[in-house]
Amino acid sequence: MSKTHDNTELTVFLVDDDAAVRDALGLLLGIQGYRIALFANAEDFLKAWRPSWLGCLLIDIRMPGMDGLALQQRLKQDGCALPVIIITGHGDVDLARQAFRADAHDFLEKPLDEDKLVNAIEEAFVDVRELATASARRASAQARFPSLTPREREVMELVVAGRHNRDIAVLLDISARTVEVHKARLMDKLGVDNIADLVRMRLLADPE
Amino acid sequence: MPSPLLPARPVEWLLAVAFIALYVVLDWASFMDPLFALNITPWNPDPAIGLVLWLRFGRRIALPWFLALVLSEIVVRQMPAGPVLTVVLAAQLTAGYGLTGEVLHRVFSKSTLVNSRERLFNWLTIVFAGLAVNGAAYVALLWLAGLVPPGAFVTASVRYIIGDIVGVVMSMPLLWMLVVASSRARLAAIVRSWETAAYVLLAACLVWGVFQGHIGTEQYKHLYFLFMPIVWAAARHGLAGTGLVAFTLQASIITVVRWGGADGIPFAELQLLGAALSLVGFFIGVIVDEQRQATEGLKQSLRLAAAGEMAAALAHELNQPMAALSAYGKACEHLIARGDNSPLLADTIGKMVREANRASQVVRRVREFFRTGAMHLEPGNAHDIIASVCAQFGDKCRAEAIALTMAAPPGLVLRVDRLQIELVLRNLLANAVDAVLETAPAGRRIHVGAVARKGQLEVVVQDSGKGVSRAMAGRLFQPFASGKSSGLGLGLVLSRQIVEAHGGSLWAEACGQGLFKFLLPMPGAEHDEMEAACVKHE
Repeated sequence: MSKTHDNTELTVFLVDDDAAVRDALGLLLGIQGYRIALFANAEDFLKAWRPSWLGCLLIDIRMPGMDGLALQQRLKQDGCALPVIIITGHGDVDLARQAFRADAHDFLEKPLDEDKLVNAIEEAFVDVRELATASARRASAQARFPSLTPREREVMELVVAGRHNRDIAVLLDISARTVEVHKARLMDKLGVDNIADLVRMRLLADPE
Repeated sequence: MPSPLLPARPVEWLLAVAFIALYVVLDWASFMDPLFALNITPWNPDPAIGLVLWLRFGRRIALPWFLALVLSEIVVRQMPAGPVLTVVLAAQLTAGYGLTGEVLHRVFSKSTLVNSRERLFNWLTIVFAGLAVNGAAYVALLWLAGLVPPGAFVTASVRYIIGDIVGVVMSMPLLWMLVVASSRARLAAIVRSWETAAYVLLAACLVWGVFQGHIGTEQYKHLYFLFMPIVWAAARHGLAGTGLVAFTLQASIITVVRWGGADGIPFAELQLLGAALSLVGFFIGVIVDEQRQATEGLKQSLRLAAAGEMAAALAHELNQPMAALSAYGKACEHLIARGDNSPLLADTIGKMVREANRASQVVRRVREFFRTGAMHLEPGNAHDIIASVCAQFGDKCRAEAIALTMAAPPGLVLRVDRLQIELVLRNLLANAVDAVLETAPAGRRIHVGAVARKGQLEVVVQDSGKGVSRAMAGRLFQPFASGKSSGLGLGLVLSRQIVEAHGGSLWAEACGQGLFKFLLPMPGAEHDEMEAACVKHE
């Protein structure tokens, strides 16, 4: 099985205390075309981690020092949004439960099945990508709003609130014709061509 | 269905005949000091055989027993009661003994023995009660038939009952052990020990010496000497040893009284004394047996628990090379599919071989571990053993910034089970690593040192961890007293067992840091003055 998307901007971060396992998984995923970063323990990863990193985390549960679950918790507290795939040597239900309660993306058993591993990584990447697209859209929407005039902004808020043109005209004490002109101009400025998209963009930019 | 009252197979018929013959011979041998020329003697060992066989075969032994009783009357005493009464009396005795045997048969199954205080108490109660009722009934019949004078009923019945009880108490345990396969094996094992020969001989010599007046000035007044062999046997070999000595005492007393010309000795009193001695021995023996069983039970559960602990650790240890192997394998598949014949492929295959070796080493370690039951003592160089274990921790210590040092005199040869001692060292080092990991990376130190001292090798494992408190130092070696979240806390318990099995000792010292020491005996003391050479281990 090979991946279907271009993952150049995404990285698989592997945290495992066993040098051979690290090396082997690094090689395998590298051959598959993934960008890999290897860490020998939780502390090393925490030291290196930057919020700008994109990709997913593969964490071995049993490690000396800080173990996998502790690392997962710690990253969650630090606001790290990387999806976490927990790897364990023994399928312990209790550990799996703990991992999922801390929003683990997946829970895999060693020795790892390649297909399952790649699937898990791909699923995680899909999530990451969606998240990235959403935030990119949000960023672009947020960037466009300032170009609106105060009147256009007022009209937009009322349109998003579901008012008809006539109601808006009464509320703003302008003619319905003028409302239509404002509406057409603001939609043009925001690059949307229907009300539904306008509402979506408005909510994306500033979800209440 | 075979008749419950007749021997079932030819071999049992043969046994029945042998039983009858032995019964008659024993009756003849023990027909001493009789009252009114009747079968009222201070020592009656034959019922012991009957009861043991009853335990084994149940009611099928009744008929042979009855025949044996009749035959002994005819052969040994020429039927003082006349033919009819003899048959009636034999029937009564068979019924009385049989009742006792039946109760024993129900309380004790075929394969169990007196192996606890409760069972010993049960056995004695049944035997005392059964034989008392039986004896009283027997003498009452004789009394009714006019064979016992009217005023002598109590004396006669007491004499008869005591004779039976003494005979059964002193002889039955040994016979019983001979019948049950498991205890027969134990008996066979004991007989091979020099101590058994020693206390049996001591018992025989003491009886002879006491009666011949060699020990003390008066005959039989110094019978308390006989406590020595019986307590010795009981303390060392439990019930089995006591059974042997009780039987020896009995045989020696009879021999001396019957053939040693020890006349004028109150034989009945002697017999009571012998029985009391045996009872003391049995009680000690049973307690010794119980404690040994408890110890063995603990050992067994320790071993099982250790196996469980080992298995959990293994799941992880085996999984690592397995995980690496399968990942390398998959990588190779991809490389080959791509037609990539680069050095990377050869390199990866090399790594696979290395991982496979690592996995097989884990498996070998398990085998070693389960073999620890039997020790294989072989000459081993102390320095090499310590160095090899330290090397196993080298990577780990480097990764965790732990300064691992060792100091052991070269050329010091020990006679040890190398694998077991390595296991102990591994345990102590793993503990030390865990302890220092809880401290700041700067100043993490572990030192393994060995010094020859007074014919012993003292091995010290010292770490810069926070150490143990005085209270914890003692508790550490109890099972399940782990201060760690994982594992059962058996590592130190096992380690101590291993070191003690080597004739050494292992302990923790309460000081500011972690400090474990163990001593191992050295075959020669020629290295006494050897200076410890310091080798920095990398």
